[in-house]
Amino acid sequence: MTPELLPPLPLAQALLLLSPIATLTLAALLAARSAAPAWGLARGASSAALLLSLASALMLLFVPAGQAWGLRIDAIGATVLLLVSFVGWCIVRYSQTYLQAERGEARFVAWLLTTLAAVLVVVTSNHLLLLALAWMATSFALHRLLTFFADRPAAQVAAHKKFVVGRVADVCMLAAAGLLYAAFGTLQIDQLLQAAALAPALPMLAQVATLLVVVAVLLKTAQLPFHGWLIQVMEAPTPVSALLHAGVVNLGGYVLIRLAPLIAELPLAMGLLVAAGTLTAVIAALVMTTRISVKVMLAWSTTAQMGFMVMQCGLGLWEMALLHLVAHSLYKAHCFLAAGGTVRQTQVRQLAPAAVPPSASALLLGALASLVMTGAAMLALQAAGVSSPATPALWVMGGILTLALVPLLQPTGQGATGLLKVAGSAFVLAGIYFGLHAWLASWASPAAQAPGLPGTLLVAVAFAALFLLQSALATQPRGRLAARLYPAFYGGLFLDEKFSRFVFRVWPLRPLSAHPSAAAAAPLSTTQA
Amino acid sequence: MNAPAHTTPDHAAAMAEALPHAMAQAITQACDRIAPTWPLDQFIAVNPYWGWLSSPAPQAAAALGALAGTRLTLSRAAFAGHWAAGRLNVAHLQAAIQRQGSQTTADELIRAMQSPQPAPRALPLLTERLQALAPATPLPWRDIVTHQISQHCAAFFDAGQARWTMDRSPGLLASWQRQLAADRGLPWRRHPRDMAAAIAALPSDPATLISQALDALAVPAAGRAHYLSALLLSINGWAAWCAFERWQARLAGGDDQQIVHLLAIRLAWELLLRDDAASAGTALTGDGWAAQWQHADAEIARQRTEQAVDWLLQDALEIAYQQPLCSSLLAALQQPAPTATRPEVQAVFCIDVRSEVFRRALEAASPGIATRGFAGFFGLPIAYSPAGSALTRPQLPGLLAPAITVSEANTEPGAEKGLGQALADRRQGALAWRQRWADLRAAAASGFSFVETCGLAYGPKLLKDTLPSSAPAARWEDTGLEAGAHTTESAHRPRLPQASTDPVAAARLAAGILNAMGFPPGSGSDFAPLVMLAGHGSQTANNPHAAGLDCGACGGQTGEVNARALADLLNTPAVRTALSAQGMDIPEDTHFLPALHNTTTDEVQLFDTEAVPPTLRTALEALRAALQAAGQRARAERAPSLGLAHLVHDAPALESSLRERANDWAQVRPEWGLADNAAFIVAPRQRTQGLNLAGRSFLHDYDWRRDAGFGVLTLIMTAPMVVTNWINLQYHASALDNRRYGSGNKLLHNVVGGRVGVFEGNGGDLRIGLPLQSLHDGEKLRHTPLRLSVFIEAPRAAIDAIIEQHAVVRDLVGNGWLHLFRLDGDHPAVERRAAQGWEAAAAA
Repeated sequence: MTPELLPPLPLAQALLLLSPIATLTLAALLAARSAAPAWGLARGASSAALLLSLASALMLLFVPAGQAWGLRIDAIGATVLLLVSFVGWCIVRYSQTYLQAERGEARFVAWLLTTLAAVLVVVTSNHLLLLALAWMATSFALHRLLTFFADRPAAQVAAHKKFVVGRVADVCMLAAAGLLYAAFGTLQIDQLLQAAALAPALPMLAQVATLLVVVAVLLKTAQLPFHGWLIQVMEAPTPVSALLHAGVVNLGGYVLIRLAPLIAELPLAMGLLVAAGTLTAVIAALVMTTRISVKVMLAWSTTAQMGFMVMQCGLGLWEMALLHLVAHSLYKAHCFLAAGGTVRQTQVRQLAPAAVPPSASALLLGALASLVMTGAAMLALQAAGVSSPATPALWVMGGILTLALVPLLQPTGQGATGLLKVAGSAFVLAGIYFGLHAWLASWASPAAQAPGLPGTLLVAVAFAALFLLQSALATQPRGRLAARLYPAFYGGLFLDEKFSRFVFRVWPLRPLSAHPSAAAAAPLSTTQA
Repeated sequence: MNAPAHTTPDHAAAMAEALPHAMAQAITQACDRIAPTWPLDQFIAVNPYWGWLSSPAPQAAAALGALAGTRLTLSRAAFAGHWAAGRLNVAHLQAAIQRQGSQTTADELIRAMQSPQPAPRALPLLTERLQALAPATPLPWRDIVTHQISQHCAAFFDAGQARWTMDRSPGLLASWQRQLAADRGLPWRRHPRDMAAAIAALPSDPATLISQALDALAVPAAGRAHYLSALLLSINGWAAWCAFERWQARLAGGDDQQIVHLLAIRLAWELLLRDDAASAGTALTGDGWAAQWQHADAEIARQRTEQAVDWLLQDALEIAYQQPLCSSLLAALQQPAPTATRPEVQAVFCIDVRSEVFRRALEAASPGIATRGFAGFFGLPIAYSPAGSALTRPQLPGLLAPAITVSEANTEPGAEKGLGQALADRRQGALAWRQRWADLRAAAASGFSFVETCGLAYGPKLLKDTLPSSAPAARWEDTGLEAGAHTTESAHRPRLPQASTDPVAAARLAAGILNAMGFPPGSGSDFAPLVMLAGHGSQTANNPHAAGLDCGACGGQTGEVNARALADLLNTPAVRTALSAQGMDIPEDTHFLPALHNTTTDEVQLFDTEAVPPTLRTALEALRAALQAAGQRARAERAPSLGLAHLVHDAPALESSLRERANDWAQVRPEWGLADNAAFIVAPRQRTQGLNLAGRSFLHDYDWRRDAGFGVLTLIMTAPMVVTNWINLQYHASALDNRRYGSGNKLLHNVVGGRVGVFEGNGGDLRIGLPLQSLHDGEKLRHTPLRLSVFIEAPRAAIDAIIEQHAVVRDLVGNGWLHLFRLDGDHPAVERRAAQGWEAAAAA
């Protein structure tokens, strides 16, 4: 299928599309000039941005997608626009209470609004240069939030790493834009994608550009070994973590989906996405299970989930990548904002007796039951005419789902009702999965390209291995395998330390003057009265 | 002593025993200096200087200055602030000079306040010298060492975060050696293989390692205990955790050596860094490093001299608080005793400072209500096990070990099957079901599909949690019970098993509690028809330190279980009969009513009201109305401190604002807890009834005339007085040195090990004590660090005898960890216990 050119938007709709960005930008400017924290303004602006984004999205039910002034609105863009506006609205309200009376509150408001405005530009952009610049602006504005506690050395170190990785990614994006302009004579994304699709073969310049885009995305979505900054930015207030994990780090996935027709043209790019994404997903998921603090665990989880999203893009499952992006954002925003509730969750868990390690046969039985339920859900949806026959990539995803549902399908010791309950739940979850896929495929499938066999195989093997390893660790938590592997995974394979040493050698951070104790002591010693 | 490098565990144990006495003593001394910290789900207050109790406070302060760079008095700038605001004046300075018998003049103190203060200088560890001589980029060596140890301890002591956990069986030290040898991320100078060999060569017995390392570093004998103390203080958070493990083991009659392991680990780092630096040609132990520790005592003495001025100023500020209070109490002592009439309701509250505000409001709302102060765990030595659950948790002060387990499953004989029996199975099923979903969410291979199938549902959750809610406090202990099976109903009240199985023993326990509460045998007729036993708890959302706002006397839980269990005990007919036989005749018409004071919203929830006899229905309704009115008053009094001054005159708006605050997941200052506590008054309520103590005073009712043999006074001075000291000095230390004794900024809190504690940000040491937001409103400290002023109305001889007999009390009073005053009702006077005896503090 050839990507279509977007028709120009009517003026009213174009203005509506521009309005959330304009509102947030204006609010950011006013907030920056205000000496007092402009929370009222921020709340108003984020509420307005949410409502205006909602209006833009709803209009698409009645009028076609289109573009104007380098911006565009279509179903995929509207989805992410709504997502970011909503998460932004939650974060603004949360931050108002959370940061009350904190020094630097006023500057926080201004940079928060700036970040949100920049993200909305990325999401609505139809111009590659605009997109690249807005993506840069997002990174710069976020940098100010990440170094909110500027006197914390660890905050500076993490932000510096992010800064370096971000700048390399920026160079890649700008170079890609230049090359694509040279190849096709335009930077309008819809025109560019169509030109790429119509060309008999992708020009060399465009091939290089595509690879550069992929590299930029891998850097900005914190794929191994460039993940360290994402893990260590717990040195910023909690809502910043929520914003980063729910609204910024996933932009890489959005850019891939946006440029899907171009990227799908280049098997090498797709292969790179599959390889990097799969390895990141599998390794980071295992490291995640060794983490001992809640926020760091969540950060490793994000790295893994980003890997999974990137992998889905590489497999051409763009619609599933979009689902992953949206669902993960909502999930992770909630996880971070609610992270203080960890103690309460632990207390509730203590009400139940300590879990006993599952037996290998129970896991095997669970896997078989899961296979039956997943298969049943898939066939039922096909029979009902909801889903079309599965592609090889979807078969692999179905396999991953099957293995994922095993913890749910463990023997209950509660007789037939218990069995019915777990089997029913697994069936419903599988149904939701394939149903969502079918629904999304009907409107959010920007490029159709069957993935290469090696990529599909790699994913299948990697996830089967992950499941087997997880099962081995669960059944034999003190076995020799667990003992051998633990130090390495506990250390995150030491990837970040090596990368950091390299980064700081190449691009040193200016010496940190502040003593770490100064940060904690200052608010007391200076104002004690 | 030169022990071989490689030892088997058995051999090592023998080796440890063979350590020279001085060496073992130095280790013990360093470890005993560290006070424990409780996990977040039982976050009770601890005096972090508890290990220094036997030293005079100024001496401990000088030592802590030299070993850790901390201080125990306000900064000079802060004193100057109090001076400028008029809270501190020349008379206070002179009184302090006189109190200490000092030669300093008031003018010198005034000058000292205005001049910059020398920060306490800690003697350097090798880690810090390395940083000075060969900086590590980008983070300082001290942070790297702290991070490595801290991450290891977190994995080792993890209580619910990781799914793939560290193997604890080798012990703390050996597992650390294993991890460090495998660590490829550290910026060693030497080759990783050489490092691994050096680590493997370390002795596996901690005491042996310590002994060898001290020899290798040539630390002189005179400085060893100090050096070891300084090492533990540099990893104070985890040291406090290990001290907790030891505390728990000792309460259970055993012991625990993990703090020695931690000490060995920290010392091993010094040795490894020295050797690593030496391999690169940097000599860390040169130019008299070791000799500095030889002269540690001299440095401590120097700091003590230097800090003499600060202690005068500290005393002066405390005098500024004590003087008006002494005068008010004296005036109250001169009031004629009111005629005794039987009150309509007696309301017993916890001694907590937050009760003072509410009691005053309740008395003002209804003159027929008499309030009393008593430790909020109501003297019950219990643990609580929610029916049908696997959890059993202490419901009493951390100083004590529980002896009895209460549960809703303990039912009256002949009654229908209780909650526990009826619902245990279903509850287990529901909890297992929850666990399945938790596994689906968290397992490495499941998380991806979980996000794709369930992630969207978090959108509505985000919306719901973002919008305000005025829901009442929910009992998480009811998780897994069917909706409708409310444990707040009296049929499901938690009970002591003895109430039904052994009424005589239960009555003995009850009689002891009533006696401590001020109802000795024979005083049964003093009971009002309705006796409300009010525990307390806070209501906060998304708050890792929530338990710190609950009842400390109940082990960091709400007082609900204790109040209900005691009321049940005292209402049980068989127990009443047995009590009567023991000389305690509780009137037929008296009923005990359990309640819970919500300190965040100042609402009082009544429990088990179905059990109130019909004759008391009217009284119950009157009580409800009075509680409602009192809540309004109390909220209005607290509103300005919460930034809600504009709602003081709008009671409904204030009430809903506080309820929303209690449920707000972004709220980091739900209430002020025990901030600004400063006094503990042990006397009949009549002495304080007319006073506004501004929520700064613990109040314990006590009438020495009814305490034959002073057994109750002994109890008060050895238990509640210690608990109030722990609370007071926790706030004190967290406010003065939040980096070491406080947990930093809540905006960065990151819960460790499920419930072990918090990191501030990514990592660093485990953080103990109170968050900044519990002490500071962004503009000023809400807690003025003053040592507790304890006022006891009792005869001199009785108090002196208890001080004489109990080392802990002797140290608390004699070493200046609190101020002790006594009230004399017979010849109205307030006296202060000075080193040389009692002296008048205020007299008619």
